Amino acid sequence: MKSMLKKVFKHWEVFLLVFLVLEFVVFGAANPKFLRPQSILNSIVNYISVCIIALFVTLVMITGGIDIQAPSIIGLTSIVIGVLWSDAGMNIWVAVAIAVCIAALCGALSGFFIAYCGVQPMVVTLGGSFLYSGLALLVSGMSATPAYQGISGFPAKTEAGEFVGFRFLGKGEILGVPTQIAIYIILIALCIWILHYTKYGERLYLVGVNPQAAEYSGINTRAVIMSTYVLSAVSAALAGTLLTANINSAKYNLGSGYTLAIITAVVLGGTLNTGGKGSILGTVLASLIICILRYGLPLCFDVSTQNLDLPVGIILVLVVLGREIAGQHMLSRLFKRRG
Amino acid sequence: MKQIQSLFEARWMSSLIFLILLFLITGIADPAFLSYSNIISCFNTATMYTLLAVGIAFVIMTGEIDVSIGATLGLTAAMTGLIAQRDGSVVVMLLVVMVVGAVIGLVNGLGVAYFGVPSLIFTLGTNSVVRGLVYIMTDGRTVENFGGTIASYGNKTLFAQITVYYAIAVALVAIAHFVLTRTRKGKYFIAVGDNAGGANLVGISVLGTKILAYVLCGLFAGIGGFVFASKYGQVMTVAGNGYEMTAIAACVLGGVSLSGGLGNMVGAAIGAVIMSSISRLLVFIGLPSTYDNTITGVMLIVIVVVDALAQRRSIEMSRRKRLLSRTAENTPEGGVKA
Repeated sequence: MKSMLKKVFKHWEVFLLVFLVLEFVVFGAANPKFLRPQSILNSIVNYISVCIIALFVTLVMITGGIDIQAPSIIGLTSIVIGVLWSDAGMNIWVAVAIAVCIAALCGALSGFFIAYCGVQPMVVTLGGSFLYSGLALLVSGMSATPAYQGISGFPAKTEAGEFVGFRFLGKGEILGVPTQIAIYIILIALCIWILHYTKYGERLYLVGVNPQAAEYSGINTRAVIMSTYVLSAVSAALAGTLLTANINSAKYNLGSGYTLAIITAVVLGGTLNTGGKGSILGTVLASLIICILRYGLPLCFDVSTQNLDLPVGIILVLVVLGREIAGQHMLSRLFKRRG
Repeated sequence: MKQIQSLFEARWMSSLIFLILLFLITGIADPAFLSYSNIISCFNTATMYTLLAVGIAFVIMTGEIDVSIGATLGLTAAMTGLIAQRDGSVVVMLLVVMVVGAVIGLVNGLGVAYFGVPSLIFTLGTNSVVRGLVYIMTDGRTVENFGGTIASYGNKTLFAQITVYYAIAVALVAIAHFVLTRTRKGKYFIAVGDNAGGANLVGISVLGTKILAYVLCGLFAGIGGFVFASKYGQVMTVAGNGYEMTAIAACVLGGVSLSGGLGNMVGAAIGAVIMSSISRLLVFIGLPSTYDNTITGVMLIVIVVVDALAQRRSIEMSRRKRLLSRTAENTPEGGVKA
């Protein structure tokens, strides 16, 4: 029994899954309204940016880096799309493509400094978050629309109230599933494939465990590290596009509060910020746990949305403490210290 | 002579030179900037960041990180405001902010050092807990209208236009610098950050040192909160949001290595001045404030990249020197072959 428990606890994802199910049980029992699938899906859609970016920041953190610039790229993408479409009169899809390319360049720039100049990733991406959010503000200055208002009126909504074209990304449905969630599922599959079924994924782990050994075994560690930052920037661009399509407004400061939420989702998912350990499944489960908490607590226990920080924070602290205590066998360690 | 040389080799010297260069460039763009009162107010406005940066420098030197200081500052600022609204005395406020800050630091320290939770994760958690407490304490409203003594302290100058608070901050920096470089306990911080295992072997309590670093960090953030309330006269629920990142950036600009074991307090304090002066400098250079973030970002990246490249070069140079001296010893002719 004890050894079985130990085994279960070794798989962090199992614990997260149990926790997620527990959330559903508790919230569902407290308020049956909670279990309406439409509301649950909507709550995920509201949190989709964090969920998507967390997937790719997981890759960054597995190589031992960290990316806190992604949220500023959400805003940059959004405003670039808005300005190119409304002020430069471009086709919306061309605008999206250009915005994604710009985001990739931003990621490549930061990644270059981290991988090839050996600067600490936290500092570079911190500088990046200043730089890219600053650029977003400057781009928004090029628009005829005042920055605080946001550029709106994206195509298109048919007279029957269906969303087509660009806005289909944000509000449409595929077989009854919101488009955003469908895209999220595809991205999850893609990430799992990249990380767990390709050589590239193996290299990510190797670089995270021991970059020198990886280098000596013929892996181009620098290119690998740089590529993860490009990927996470592109994912941020994707999240920015989806968010813009969803709220029908392009603003320079979209996503500005997501930094800590993304890191929280990744580390709660069991990814070590020192690198070499982590899984996509863990990140997905952790994102959903936080998302459901933020949706369920106000609905079932009358916690005002403003006060959500406290319970979410306490649960996060308790979960990581519990994991540490269970995983490292605190008791036996204490005995060893005495002996 | 040797002392002067070592002074110039000190890491904080390059930050200071950078700060002076920044001021000079701004002065060239607009000579009006180079007045005494302008430069002094650059330093005065840096008070809060100085306190935060020096506090977090202790933690960063031990190789950990603390992203909860922004929330700690917000909480203690709100508490100061609430006490002031009830006409509490300044002594009570100071006691409360220091105790609250130290307790939050203690919790962080225990979680990170005793329970072994990675510091980024744990302080992220405490960050949202503390921010949640701010909302609960203030009912989600801005704390304001607490006039009286404390608000009048905010801009009180001690001498030569230096505010009382900045003078206190400088004194604290000096004490921290002295403790770090001249006392045995102070050197433990660097030792633990440089090589925790080695420090443990020579009998330094890694656990105790890390906890102490977090407590000091919380303490400084608490004092920062007091200054915030006194200076602005109102405390929003989001007060201090994002300050932790600026403080970390200030440390990095001042030459505190994020991987631990390297750094000094004077550098962190100068970094704080750089970070908080940027918006003022832009005004004088003539760029609109929309350029704030862009310039900050570019500067931060350029500085750290140049620093990293210079460091790598110096490491390579010293290695080459070592290799050369070895070959010189081994060959009797003393010939040096590359």
